[in-house]
Amino acid sequence: MEIPQGSSIVSPQTFPYMVALFTSLVGLALILEVLRGRYATPDGNEPGDPFVPANFKTMAILAAAIGLHVILLEIAGYVVAATLCFWGVAFAFGSRKYLKDLGISLAFAGIVYFSFTKGLNINLPSGFFEGVLGK
Amino acid sequence: MGNSFAMLMDGFQTAFTPTNLMFGLLGTFLGTLVGVLPGIGPALAIGLLLPITLTVNPTSALIMFAAIYYGAMYGGSTTSILLNTPGESGSVITALEGNKMAKAGRAGAALATAAIGSFVAGTIATLFLAFGAPTLAEFALTIQPAGYLSLIILAFATVGTLLGSSRIRGLVALSVGLVIGLVGADLQSGALRLTFGNLNAIDGIETVTVIVAIFALGEALYLASRHSLVPVEVLTMKGKAWMTKEDFRRSWKPWLRGTAIGFPLGVIPAGGSEVPTFLSYGVEKALSKNKDEFGKGAIEGVAGPEAANNANAAGVLVPMLALGLPTSATAAVVLVAFQSFNIQPGPMLFQTSPEIVWGLIASLFIGNALLLVLNLPLIRFWILLLKIPTHYLYAGITTFALLGAYALNNSTFDLQVALAVGFIGYLFRRFGVPITPLIIGVILGPLAELYFKRALQISQGDWHILIDGSFPKVIYSILILVIIGPLVWNFKKKFAVNKK
Repeated sequence: MEIPQGSSIVSPQTFPYMVALFTSLVGLALILEVLRGRYATPDGNEPGDPFVPANFKTMAILAAAIGLHVILLEIAGYVVAATLCFWGVAFAFGSRKYLKDLGISLAFAGIVYFSFTKGLNINLPSGFFEGVLGK
Repeated sequence: MGNSFAMLMDGFQTAFTPTNLMFGLLGTFLGTLVGVLPGIGPALAIGLLLPITLTVNPTSALIMFAAIYYGAMYGGSTTSILLNTPGESGSVITALEGNKMAKAGRAGAALATAAIGSFVAGTIATLFLAFGAPTLAEFALTIQPAGYLSLIILAFATVGTLLGSSRIRGLVALSVGLVIGLVGADLQSGALRLTFGNLNAIDGIETVTVIVAIFALGEALYLASRHSLVPVEVLTMKGKAWMTKEDFRRSWKPWLRGTAIGFPLGVIPAGGSEVPTFLSYGVEKALSKNKDEFGKGAIEGVAGPEAANNANAAGVLVPMLALGLPTSATAAVVLVAFQSFNIQPGPMLFQTSPEIVWGLIASLFIGNALLLVLNLPLIRFWILLLKIPTHYLYAGITTFALLGAYALNNSTFDLQVALAVGFIGYLFRRFGVPITPLIIGVILGPLAELYFKRALQISQGDWHILIDGSFPKVIYSILILVIIGPLVWNFKKKFAVNKK
């Protein structure tokens, strides 16, 4: 880290070092606790509930839907990105009515887009609908 | 005192202009709407709705937030009662007895005692807020930076160790929050910290992005991973949301006791609404003549904790407004809302922006009354919202959360951060780490550093200043009593058991 010259009495490194020390200490304490067999219960479970292995497939689909939104937003515009994201999350959560979902996704994205850009004057990327939707 | 009253009247004048009244109404509507949706607590509700206020003037926007704040709590109790899925720790208890009442066909009475109890508690507690906060602010003007630092450390300790089942996991959450709070340029020297060469990170990580991502994306990822997609049963409500004379007779004392427990525990940093609602439940159970009803749907078990929850929400606003110290996730989001208009809550707030702060307090009264008038008759409409299928609900929450993260700065960097924080939120849920300490760390970490530096600048680098003076000494003594005391006590108990 570059420290600018003429820094004041407290260096900009002092507090981060304190945080680092604290983080290391509680991290160590957590490792010790887990080694001693004291696990916490996952959110929403009661102690003693049977262990449910995570379904990484649905999780990956959901993460992909979010990731797609991040990538597409400024390239393809809000409506496309949000429609696909909405559709993908619904799919990850087990919905299999592809066409109905697509309609609802498009309606959701469209309503949000118009109420934000026209109603609240908050700019959202219009993407390749630029000419069609106006701005 | 007299001055506060005059200022409050001015506040009502601000709040009663047609525009502000409209924003208040819109806020109660949106707040209830988002609060009713299962899995969304008040903190996320406000976080999601934050972009809506970006283009509105500060006074109207904050009035709207006050309304959303109370509205989300109202909505949350409806969901707890009818769906048994509390959106936040404060309504866990409401779900306990309220859901049992609904199953026994007494949903109307449960909803009514929750709504009226919230109104009673909210109104009384807001009165205490209106007269208590300015007094506290005046006292706070005399607190030195070292004293502030001690208060923040006390808040860290209580929020970190009182929430959740494990102290260490609470402190781990806090430390992750502190690290996130460090990212960006140091305010005084401009030195870049933890940016790893990324230009977008110079301004730091947006708090709203963290909040929205950790609640919305973290929850969605977690639920998807557990594929527990069994549709939850929405209980129907017969008749009107109203209570009989008998219900009233059994409810009014728990309302008042709940208020008395909830408000003070909100003012001191006792770690959110979990403790007061549990306490209120315990008190009602101990005092009730119908002890056998508890666990099967006792109305006292809804009335007391709901009142405590609402009074607590008003109590939390006292240190938030007067000291600039949020002690719950929801108060933290309200603080961020203030900051997004470049208004810094704290002792000076009552002097620099009286019209905003008093308008806000007045609108808390108005919002509370509006909620009671609107919600009891409209309850059927809100219940309809509970029937949205889970996949559309989480699709909507996820997409809207991403919008909120993006719209703040129009930057995809914020979206990348949101995705990363969402994964942290998933891991926290999976491994039983509480979330609120992280948010408190993100928000109060930079403040702690600021006061730390100021204190050392005053003393020319002499670290003794940190424990000099009576105020820090008192606070650190409390800290030792609250944190170390129970540890010693537990140890003694274990020791006694081992001896036997």
